[in-house]
Amino acid sequence: MKQFMMIFIGADYTDLGLSPEEMQARMGKWFAWGNKMGEAGILKGGEALTPQIRRVAGKDRVVTDLTSAEVKEIVGGYYTVEAKDFDAVQEIAKDFPDYDLGGTVEIREIMVFDR
Amino acid sequence: METKLIDHLFRHHSGKMVSVLTRIFGLSNLEIIEDAVQDTFLKASISWRKQQPENLKAWLTQAAKNRVLDIFRKLKTTNKHLPELKNGTQTIAINDLFLDNEIEDAQLRMIFTACHPKLDPKDQIAFALKTISGFSAKEIASALLTKEETIKKRLSRARKVIKTKNLAFKIPQGNELPERIESVLNVIYLIFNEGFHSNKKDILIQKELCGEAIRLCKMLLKNKYTKTSDVYALFALMCFHSARLGAKINTENELLDLKTQDRNKWSFPLIQLGNVMMNKAVETENFSRYHYEAAIVGEHIKAPSFEQTNWDKILDWYKCLYQLNPTPSYLLTMAVVCLQSENYIKANYYFEQINPDDLAQRAYLFYGAKADYFDKTNNKKEALKAIDLALEKVTNKLEKEFLEKKKLAFL
Repeated sequence: MKQFMMIFIGADYTDLGLSPEEMQARMGKWFAWGNKMGEAGILKGGEALTPQIRRVAGKDRVVTDLTSAEVKEIVGGYYTVEAKDFDAVQEIAKDFPDYDLGGTVEIREIMVFDR
Repeated sequence: METKLIDHLFRHHSGKMVSVLTRIFGLSNLEIIEDAVQDTFLKASISWRKQQPENLKAWLTQAAKNRVLDIFRKLKTTNKHLPELKNGTQTIAINDLFLDNEIEDAQLRMIFTACHPKLDPKDQIAFALKTISGFSAKEIASALLTKEETIKKRLSRARKVIKTKNLAFKIPQGNELPERIESVLNVIYLIFNEGFHSNKKDILIQKELCGEAIRLCKMLLKNKYTKTSDVYALFALMCFHSARLGAKINTENELLDLKTQDRNKWSFPLIQLGNVMMNKAVETENFSRYHYEAAIVGEHIKAPSFEQTNWDKILDWYKCLYQLNPTPSYLLTMAVVCLQSENYIKANYYFEQINPDDLAQRAYLFYGAKADYFDKTNNKKEALKAIDLALEKVTNKLEKEFLEKKKLAFL
């Protein structure tokens, strides 16, 4: 078994102007998805991220504060899962709830170093 | 752990939070309040993804209390004069405002604000659905078949009027109360009718608007000053109407009239509830339009089949309604009722008093009924003429299909 990270990229909920009803519906789908992975014992961890960004870049270490509204796409969170290979994670990622909001799931394998 | 969330929990709770926070900070800070509430649900929806708190409502209430402090801080920076909220009595008082009965009180204040006669009727509906029911502008637009931009304009116009006219956030008292209740009932019934008559393909939206109207009416019934016989009558009326909601459209999404509806599909619990409410409503001498309308729908519901409807009784109730408010649409209905009881002379008597132009967009109903009249009195040529006029005037797709079917039957 290998460890993978599913990274969620897209517009931030704040900027989409979702209604309370829509938020509840979204949350229900996320909850169901998390439950499904949890029951299968593949979900290892994950976090949601706030939309505030402080970017430090370049050799001059230029600091910029950004909000989600200023960047088109933002990493909103991630899950780490245990799976056989990319194809298995791809299958899991099919249930990601926010494709209809233009969301993207990026699947990356967590690197294992030789001892 | 699978916990199913209560339907519309977020939406209804957002209405509660907006009302309570408005009671604390006043209508002039409504926009800040709405943003803060929106933010709370955003956070809840993300943090509850993995695990939902044990007591959802308590979590939401605590979140609302936390927002009180946030908003205080925010307003402090804009240097508005605010009561001190450090400790002691103020904090206790604010805690009390989150008790169930105080939340209900705050929501009633919001209802009376939304339905204030100084607001334009269209703005009232939009504002009520936004602030009390927790709909977004987009959801209101789709429910009312309007553009989102239009709704946003109505909302901001309502906010502006509330600010410039300095409307008070309170439940009116004394002589003012009955007339203010009347305007609340008017808005509630408009919301209900938007749902009931929308004929939108999406039956869910119909049900939501109807359900929301009933919920608002229920809020009035919880307060001893606002639970008047008119409120009970409107509640009964909406129950009776809603009982038939599931039977209004068949599986092919075609509109069914009373004649063809499957009466077994009518909701018995809603009819029962309507009857209970009706009994409370008639404990008065003065009947409102809601009393009569409920009596009419009640009469339809009582009939075991369409053929066994007591049309004479229904005609009597319509006469009462017409007396209360002489409008051409009642005349039209009375004509239709006479057609049902095959009293064609009387039907014609009512038809002749109507100028179809007065019915505006509903003129097609006049021509549709006229077509029936000519058909029943064996005047095929005039019947076809009338149905063509009806088809010319109708705009709603389902209604149009209905009329086209009728035309085919004439040919």
